[in-house]
Amino acid sequence: MQSGRINLHYALLTGILLLLTSCQKEPAEEITVSYEEKHLPVEGGILISSMSSDPSSLIYMIAGESASAAITSNIFNGLLKYDKNLDLESDLAEHWEISADKKTITFTLKPNLKWADDKPLTSADVLFTWQAVIDPKNASPYASDFGLVKQAEAPNERTFRVSYDQPYAPALDSWAGLQILPKHLLEGQDLHTTAFTRKPVGSHYYQLADWKHGQNITLTRNPNSVLGPARIERLVTRIIPDNSAQFLELMADNIDSMGLDPIKYSRIIPARPELQKKLNLYKELGNSYTYLGFNLKHKPFDDVRVRKAINYAIDKQEIIDGVYLGLGINIASPYKPGTRWSNPDLKPHPYDPAKARQLLKEAGFTDTDGDGMLERDGKPLAFEIITNNGNKEREKTAVFIQRKLKEIGIDVSIRTIEWASFISRFIKTGDFDVVILGWGLGLDPDQFNIWHSSQQAPGQFNFIGYNNPTVDRLLEQGRTELDPDKRKKIYHEFAKVLLDDSPIVYLSAGYGLSAIHKRVQGIIDPIPPAGVGYDSHKWYVPVPLRRNEIAEN
Amino acid sequence: MLKYLIKRVLLMIPMLIGISLISFFIMHLAPGDITSNETAFNPKASEESRQKLRQMYNLDKPVIVQYGLWLKRMATLDFGNSFASHQKPVFWEKTDKDGNVTKGMVQEALPITLLINVLGLFITLALAVPLGIIAARKHMGWQDKSITLFNFIGFSIPGFWLSLLLMYWLGVVNNWLPISGIHSLNYETLSTWGKIKDTLSHLMMPVIIPSVTGLAGITLFIKNGMLDVLQQDYITTARAKGLNEHRVIYTHALRNALLPLITIIGLSIPGLIGGSVIAETIFAIPGMGKLFYDAVLMRDFPVVMGVLTIGAALTLIGNLLADIAYAWADPRVRRGVAR
Repeated sequence: MQSGRINLHYALLTGILLLLTSCQKEPAEEITVSYEEKHLPVEGGILISSMSSDPSSLIYMIAGESASAAITSNIFNGLLKYDKNLDLESDLAEHWEISADKKTITFTLKPNLKWADDKPLTSADVLFTWQAVIDPKNASPYASDFGLVKQAEAPNERTFRVSYDQPYAPALDSWAGLQILPKHLLEGQDLHTTAFTRKPVGSHYYQLADWKHGQNITLTRNPNSVLGPARIERLVTRIIPDNSAQFLELMADNIDSMGLDPIKYSRIIPARPELQKKLNLYKELGNSYTYLGFNLKHKPFDDVRVRKAINYAIDKQEIIDGVYLGLGINIASPYKPGTRWSNPDLKPHPYDPAKARQLLKEAGFTDTDGDGMLERDGKPLAFEIITNNGNKEREKTAVFIQRKLKEIGIDVSIRTIEWASFISRFIKTGDFDVVILGWGLGLDPDQFNIWHSSQQAPGQFNFIGYNNPTVDRLLEQGRTELDPDKRKKIYHEFAKVLLDDSPIVYLSAGYGLSAIHKRVQGIIDPIPPAGVGYDSHKWYVPVPLRRNEIAEN
Repeated sequence: MLKYLIKRVLLMIPMLIGISLISFFIMHLAPGDITSNETAFNPKASEESRQKLRQMYNLDKPVIVQYGLWLKRMATLDFGNSFASHQKPVFWEKTDKDGNVTKGMVQEALPITLLINVLGLFITLALAVPLGIIAARKHMGWQDKSITLFNFIGFSIPGFWLSLLLMYWLGVVNNWLPISGIHSLNYETLSTWGKIKDTLSHLMMPVIIPSVTGLAGITLFIKNGMLDVLQQDYITTARAKGLNEHRVIYTHALRNALLPLITIIGLSIPGLIGGSVIAETIFAIPGMGKLFYDAVLMRDFPVVMGVLTIGAALTLIGNLLADIAYAWADPRVRRGVAR
């Protein structure tokens, strides 16, 4: 009897376990289609990608974060856009004219533009958007560029005119970045709380079909798209916070594209034939670079010899090989190499420890007590590198630098800090010696906010305290010069001074890496400077290569 | 008894205020606010606009004033609106003047978290109670030892690691279960039965993995409670009366051994609304854990305070319910309270 009861328990347990494991799907049939075969362009289909977080709002001027940009850039247009070589071309504006005194820009919109809800898109919408972005009530993070506009007017349906107090070269870039919003739906609404942020109406290739918060966002083609129809019918973006889970979904064929890190790109995927068979890998120049920045208000970083010595002592190629598995490049100016603004004559400081020692000796640092570490006036050359935690590349880079600097007698410690604390407790207060951080390789060359000596107040971006009258003058000139060739000369000179002065050490610019399923065809090859996604509206998914379960719907 | 209950409920009010005050100040001890997010490092975003945002959310006022404003809102049970998601309601849906309904953040995150945790608790108990009884009955026998071994293996394995391995094996290699998310993309087109099946298959891994890895504690509780009870004189008496072993174990011993379980369940009530950040991140479940974690990272104070307050209230209610249930189940306790 007793043992009978116990057996009943076992039976119960086994039953539960069996129940738990019995809900299995039939294994998918072996794939017989060949993804290598090229097909003709065709409309329809679905492209599934993934993103690590939900956008906070679908009005980009309010949201401001990259997750929002990723979705809204498919829904809204700007007046201008960048072409595949990163030159400005028309978007909503058919053409634009700059007045003789270079202070006024007149945009002429394309004729017969329409919003997705069939209402006409006119210069009144552009004017409304400008008013919204500078409205203090909206507290848009991107207001500053547009606050420089002295006057904006919409004299007729297709004309929009802005004038500035003085010529402002980054103006066109700013108008390319401003997504135009529909006045008829937003007038009188609070842009933070309006229901429009969760069901926007735009003018671009796609419109929002469905947004399940924290799960997925579905876009379908906009019949009124001002640039003509895109080919793929639906874009689905799944929200999957964990990178490993995203990759598992990619492996299981549940998503079509994702960004990769160097290990997945160069080790994991090449080692698996079944993944190679269905995935194309893409490598493009990234949009940002990593640097080591000195607090120039702290000794001894006010001494250019010390900064240069540290620059020579760091082996950048070792960092690129060790941290990025070779998937990055050295840079010598804060611009995308190969583009107009990047000065091709500049070369990064080479790895030269002997020169580093020499420079430090000149600056007064010698090893007086024979412990292998350098001192000046009895004080050792030691400092702390801080960076934000969670960024593995930066953390590893710090370790490489620590070892190289130890070799020439500099004692470095490393500290990583959570982002919000890092910003408010250390960067804003200027309470740091050396940071590892990144800046974007912007499309417009103006970097006034980062390097001009007037931009040092707490919360502004020249937090390293860089103060160089030559650079100040060049930055001011560059902002008011609209002639591209003259502008190019100014920024080439600026980059040269910056490199010589070494207020930061350019460490590396990692490549942007991605995998896209081979069922997606029509991807531009070779990748232009604007990146692999540049003309994604021309991508298509041939019918035989589409997913079964979704084709049924 | 009624007097006792009223006293307990009234006592909860100052307790809640105290908890919220401490939470509010601790939250503000961490450096940074909503403006120290991703755009804080975009050179196109000016400090001026961040200052405006701080004014808009009263973040430029002293902490005690901000607490006062929060408490004033809470007095009308208004949890406020989130900073980070641009004024989404924290707790429940709100309708604007045009009739557009904006769902609350807790409202969206809570159902899925509750479902996962209730299912998980149920599975844990369904496994832990029989396992505990077997372990106690066969104390020091091979059954006991293998149950202990199994439990401790589950206890020691990091949940995220096991999750990733199982996601790979069950999702990628075999395509038996979905890997992440809570619904398939074609969920809307399924029949009701299909929807249930779809949800259950998505929840399989996120529910079972934490239940199994969390089995050890409760099994030990049951086993030790059972062992204690089996030593008691009344069990010896029951056996001496000649009752069969089944009645001794299930009618006499088990009921006493299960008493501590009431406390455990009572204490797990607040846990039911707090999801696991790691599990929700890995399985891409938009639940309470992820909501709270993101809110802390973004310094989204209304959401942090909202979740903490709901959690604190549920903890107090859970304690009260556990005490009441104890009194109901155990006459000895009941007599103690009445006196």
